[in-house]
Amino acid sequence: MPRLTVASDGVVVELREDETILEGLHRHGYAYRTGCRRGGCAICKVDVVSGEVRYTRPVADTVLSDAERQSGVCLSCRAVPVSDTTISLREETLRCVNPLLALYATSH
Amino acid sequence: MAVMRMGYMHVRVTDLAEAKEHYANTVGLYQTLEQDGRVYYKGWDEWDHHSIVIEEGGVGYVKCGFKCERPEDIADIEAKATVYGYPVERMVAGENPEVGDGIRVTLASGHQVEFYSHMTSYGLEVGTHNPDAFPRHMVGIGAPRLDHALLWVNDVAGIERFFMDCVGMYPTERVVTSLDDDAKTLATWLTLGESNHDIALLEAPENKIHHFAFEMRSWDDILKAADIFAMDDVPIDIGPTRHGITRGTTIYFFDPSGNRNETFAGGYRCFRDRPMVTWTADQLGKAIFYHSRELNERFLTVAT
Repeated sequence: MPRLTVASDGVVVELREDETILEGLHRHGYAYRTGCRRGGCAICKVDVVSGEVRYTRPVADTVLSDAERQSGVCLSCRAVPVSDTTISLREETLRCVNPLLALYATSH
Repeated sequence: MAVMRMGYMHVRVTDLAEAKEHYANTVGLYQTLEQDGRVYYKGWDEWDHHSIVIEEGGVGYVKCGFKCERPEDIADIEAKATVYGYPVERMVAGENPEVGDGIRVTLASGHQVEFYSHMTSYGLEVGTHNPDAFPRHMVGIGAPRLDHALLWVNDVAGIERFFMDCVGMYPTERVVTSLDDDAKTLATWLTLGESNHDIALLEAPENKIHHFAFEMRSWDDILKAADIFAMDDVPIDIGPTRHGITRGTTIYFFDPSGNRNETFAGGYRCFRDRPMVTWTADQLGKAIFYHSRELNERFLTVAT
């Protein structure tokens, strides 16, 4: 399963199959600024530093342009890493809102 | 002049199948037509053919329509909007399925707003002869009807003036930068009659739709709606809570494409001689979310 690293915060989590970046971080007790969580508002964009993501649902061009995709921007509520991926949050830090999950979450 | 209500809201959705599941089975609307990649719905207490239109491809606002009482009302708005300086074009019957002749006005924000006086009557499941109080087998939250919308616009004052001077609305509440004479209006709630608001406008850097709302009948209905949203894994923005503005009770939530919806119940009756309520920007938290008294991180930053 892909490993997700949040470079801006030094957090590493193991993702499940077909899990989005947002789902994976939530499942490990972490939060950051999100909006609709359904791919429509664009507020949860993050920068992909390395690795590759795919989309299992359609994403509107007005939300994420081709140029942004090519420059490594992804919509974290919809982006599913297909390999070990490192991202960087924009102008904010990851918040640990559930320390129990941060300690005990497993990928299976 | 008699514009009666916001008659329809038309938005884009990224995935039609998921959106249909949401609007039919969670919100509980009746599908009345599916044609050309668009699906048309009405609430159980609406008699016109449709009040919600969803269209596959993208996300966000397409247009909304206001229903006038008579064709002469449309002509009146056409004349006034033309003088006001907003582009007006005529639309013919059938351009929108089951909707008669009308006009389409483009606001300074680019939002298109249509005015019409005829839509095919679909009727109510409870009928109009000795009707029961509600349909026996409602689905999801069983939303009775479309209530209002809040648009993000780049010129609240100018667009408010259009809705007042050309459409006949009046503001029930405003958010202003200060109580000084030269204060700027940041947001306004406008009504056609006795409802608390039919459209609201919020000053914003982009011209989008913040939300459209379904009228619910009670706080109990709002609470039950939240329960249904939990069952259906609907992302809730905030609520159930109360607005300071309008006093209405509310849940903001998102459809499967990220368009914000609202369930709205309560709010006081309005009349044209009612003194307008003014909120200062420093009290915006209480004005929007009366209990927590602070904005969440999405209210002023997320729209489609």
